[in-house]
Amino acid sequence: MSPLLAVEDLSVSFVRSSLLDRLINPFPLPGFNVIDGVTLSLMPAETLGLVGESGSGKTTLARTILGLVRAAAGRIVFEGREVATRSDFRAMRRRSAMMFQNPVASLSPRLRVGTLLTEPQVIQGLPMPDRRAAAKALLALVGLPASFVDRFPHELSGGQARRVGVARALAMKPHLLLADEPTAGLDVSVQGDVLNLIGELKRELGFATMIVTHNLAMIRHVSDRLAIMYLGRLVETGPTQEVFSAPLHPYTATLIRSEPIPDPRRRSHNLAITGEIPSVFRRPSGCEFHTRCPLVQSRCKTEAPVYRPMGADRLVRCHFPLQTGGQEREAVTRASANQRGN
Amino acid sequence: MSGSLAASGLSVRYETPHGSVHALRHVDIEAHPGEVIGIVGESGCGKSTLVTALANLLPANARIDGAIRYNGVDLAKLDAHRQRLLRGDEIALVGQDPMTAFNPVLTIGDQLIDFQHHRKDFSRAQKRARIAAMLGRVGIADAERRMRSYPHELSGGMRQRVAIAAALLTDPGLLIADEPTTALDVTMEAQIIHLLRELRREYNGIIIVVSHHLGVIAELCDRVYVMYAGEVVEGGEVDAIFHDPRHPYTQALLACDPARFHDRLDRLPTIPGSLPSLTQPPPGCVYAQRCGRAFAPCKTIAPPLVKLTACHAARCHAVTP
Ligand SMILES: Nc1ncnc2c1ncn2[C@@H]1O[C@H](COP(=O)(O)OP(=O)(O)OP(=O)(O)O)[C@@H](O)[C@H]1O
Ligand SMILES: Nc1ncnc2c1ncn2[C@@H]1O[C@H](COP(=O)(O)OP(=O)(O)OP(=O)(O)O)[C@@H](O)[C@H]1O
Ligand code: SF4
Ligand code: SF4
Ligand SMILES: [Mg+2]
Ligand SMILES: [Mg+2]
Repeated sequence: MSPLLAVEDLSVSFVRSSLLDRLINPFPLPGFNVIDGVTLSLMPAETLGLVGESGSGKTTLARTILGLVRAAAGRIVFEGREVATRSDFRAMRRRSAMMFQNPVASLSPRLRVGTLLTEPQVIQGLPMPDRRAAAKALLALVGLPASFVDRFPHELSGGQARRVGVARALAMKPHLLLADEPTAGLDVSVQGDVLNLIGELKRELGFATMIVTHNLAMIRHVSDRLAIMYLGRLVETGPTQEVFSAPLHPYTATLIRSEPIPDPRRRSHNLAITGEIPSVFRRPSGCEFHTRCPLVQSRCKTEAPVYRPMGADRLVRCHFPLQTGGQEREAVTRASANQRGN
Repeated sequence: MSGSLAASGLSVRYETPHGSVHALRHVDIEAHPGEVIGIVGESGCGKSTLVTALANLLPANARIDGAIRYNGVDLAKLDAHRQRLLRGDEIALVGQDPMTAFNPVLTIGDQLIDFQHHRKDFSRAQKRARIAAMLGRVGIADAERRMRSYPHELSGGMRQRVAIAAALLTDPGLLIADEPTTALDVTMEAQIIHLLRELRREYNGIIIVVSHHLGVIAELCDRVYVMYAGEVVEGGEVDAIFHDPRHPYTQALLACDPARFHDRLDRLPTIPGSLPSLTQPPPGCVYAQRCGRAFAPCKTIAPPLVKLTACHAARCHAVTP
C-alpha cells in the first residue's frame, strides 16, 4: 500500500520580516530553519501522533503540508502526486482539513457559528439548500445544541469552540485531517468525546489523521504511530506502544517520565529542568539535545547524530539510543527517580 | 501586599438575544495567602466566567450578583478608578487564549514594558532587564531576541509562557491562570509548575489555576473546587478530592482521565450525556440527568452543600458526612 501523504526532507525557514529590523541591522540575518529535513509518511486511515517541544515546529509542519507556509526545500506527495504549485495545494486542501491550535482565534469573530460551519462548503461551491439545517446537523454531530447556530465565537467556552472546530473540519469529509492540539482546553470527558467522535467518523469515512499534541495520556490510546520532534527535527518515530514502553531517544524518555501523575501523593519534588533550553536562532553544536540530555557524552557535543533505523519500523537520532534493559536506560530511570521524591 | 479572597453567593449571567445564560450560580469560594487553588470541571461549566469575574474583566453583556471581597474590601463597592488600579497592581489574569492577550502589531518587548506601566520606580532599561529575566524563568531562550518578535512569530506554547511572564511582571498578590499549560510539552509544563510553586514561596500570594489536566492539579494545588453547570459541586483539600471524592460528578471526572489507563483503549471513557441548558437551569440537582445514583428528590429539589470535614464539602442528596 502506498502512503496517502509523504513528506520528504522538508525544510522551512523564516527570515526576520520587519522592515525596522532590517534598517537597524544592515547585514540581514540568515534565515533560520524552523523545520529541518523532516521525512514522514502517513498511510491511508492511519493515525500519527506528532509530539514534541513547544516551539519545535509542529504547527509549522502541519501548515507547510497544507501549503499555508512555503517550504524552503523538500517534497510533499499526496495521494501519489507531488504537490508543488499553488493549484496543487488548493486541490489538496479540498481533500484535507485542519483543526487549528487556537480555537476561538481561528474562527472569524464576526460570523455566527451557523455561517462558520457551512462556509467551507459554500466556498467550495457544494450545493446546500438549507444552510441552517445543515449547520444544526453538524452541531448535533459534535454534541452541541442547535441553538448555537446563532452564537458568535466569543460566546462559546473554549471546549465548545473546539467542538465547532471539529464539526467544521469534518463537514468536508476529508481524506486527511490535520488536528493541531485538538484536546487542549477540554475536560477529560469531552476530550474523550471529541476523540471518540474523530475515531468513529474515521472508521466511517476512512481518513488519515495527524494529531499534534502535548497530551501523552491521550495520544497513547488513539495513535498508531508516534513521531517526536525537537528543535525542528524528528528525533524518533515508531509504533506508539513500542515508543511508550521502550523509548529510544533520551528526549522521548524524559517526556514520558515528566508527565505529572494525577495523584497528589506521588508528586515530583524537584521539577526544575536542568540544562539550557536551546533556540532555533542558535542551534547547539553536535546533537541538539545535548544541552539537556541526561546521558550526554563528549562525542555528542561535536558530532551530530544521523537519523537511522533501529529494528523493523523505528528510527532514532541519537549516538547512544536507549536499549530495552540496557545500561543507559537504567541511568535515565535513575536520573528521573532522583527527581521524583517518593 | 496580599490578602484573602472570598466570593460569596456569586452569580453571573450573560444576556444574549436568545435569553440569559446563567453561567454561574450562587458560588462560594475562598482562598488565603500562600494557597494554590485548583478549579476543575466540564468544558463550559463556568470556570473562565468565575475567574474573569474575580479579575473584574467580564464582558459587557455579563450581569454579576453577589460579593467578591479581596483583602477585606468588597470589590463591587470600589469606584471604577480604584478597580482599575487594583487590577493592574494586585490581580493578574493569564487568559485561556494567549493569542488574544497581545496586540498583533507591537513587539513582545514593547508590550511587556507596557504591562509594567504602573511601576514608575523602574527606568525603561530596568524594565527591559526584568523582562529578560522573567522570560528566562518561563523557559524562553534568547530572550533579548524574542523581545523583538511579534506575537504571530511565536509558537502557541511560547505565547502562553510570555503571557505568564507578563502577569508575573506586575508582582500580583492574586495570580489567576486559566489553563496555563495546555500548549506546553510536559517538560516545559513541569518547569512552569515548578515556577508557580517557587512563586508561592516567594510572594505568599494566592494562585488560582484552572486546568483540565488532572495531573497538573494534583501536582500543584492545595485545595480544589470542582464545578459543574455553573455551580461548585465539591470542594476540599487536594488529597480528599483525589482519594476520597464524594460527589458523583467528581468521581466520574476522575474515572475518565486517560492517564489512569496504561493499556490502549479503543474508546476513551466519557460521561454519557451533556451539560444541562444554562438558559433554563434545572430546578433540582444540576447533575441529575447524567447521575447513576439519582433518586426521587434529585430532579426537583436542589441538593444542600453537605459538610464532610472542616474543608471538604459536596453538594449532593446522596452524600452523608
Ligand atoms: N511567522 C513566523 N515568523 C517567524 N518565526 C515563526 C513564525 N511562525 C513560527 N515561527 C517560529 O517557528 C518555530 C516553530 O513554531 P511552531 O508554531 O511551529 O511550533 P510548535 O511546535 O507548534 O510549538 P507549540 O507546541 O508551542 O505550539 C518557533 O521558534 C516560532 O517562533
Ligand atoms: N460572552 C458570552 N455570552 C454568552 N454566553 C457566554 C459568554 N461567555 C461564555 N458564555 C457561556 O457561558 C458558559 C460558561 O462559559 P465559560 O467560558 O466560563 O466555561 P469554562 O468552564 O471556562 O469552559 P472551558 O473549559 O471550555 O473553557 C458556556 O456555556 C458559554 O457558552
Ligand atoms: S546523541 Fe548524545 S546528547 Fe544527543 S540524545 Fe543521544 S546521548 Fe543525548
Ligand atoms: S443530588 Fe442526586 S443527582 Fe445530584 S449528584 Fe447527588 S445523587 Fe446524583
Ligand atoms: Mg503549535
Ligand atoms: Mg474556560
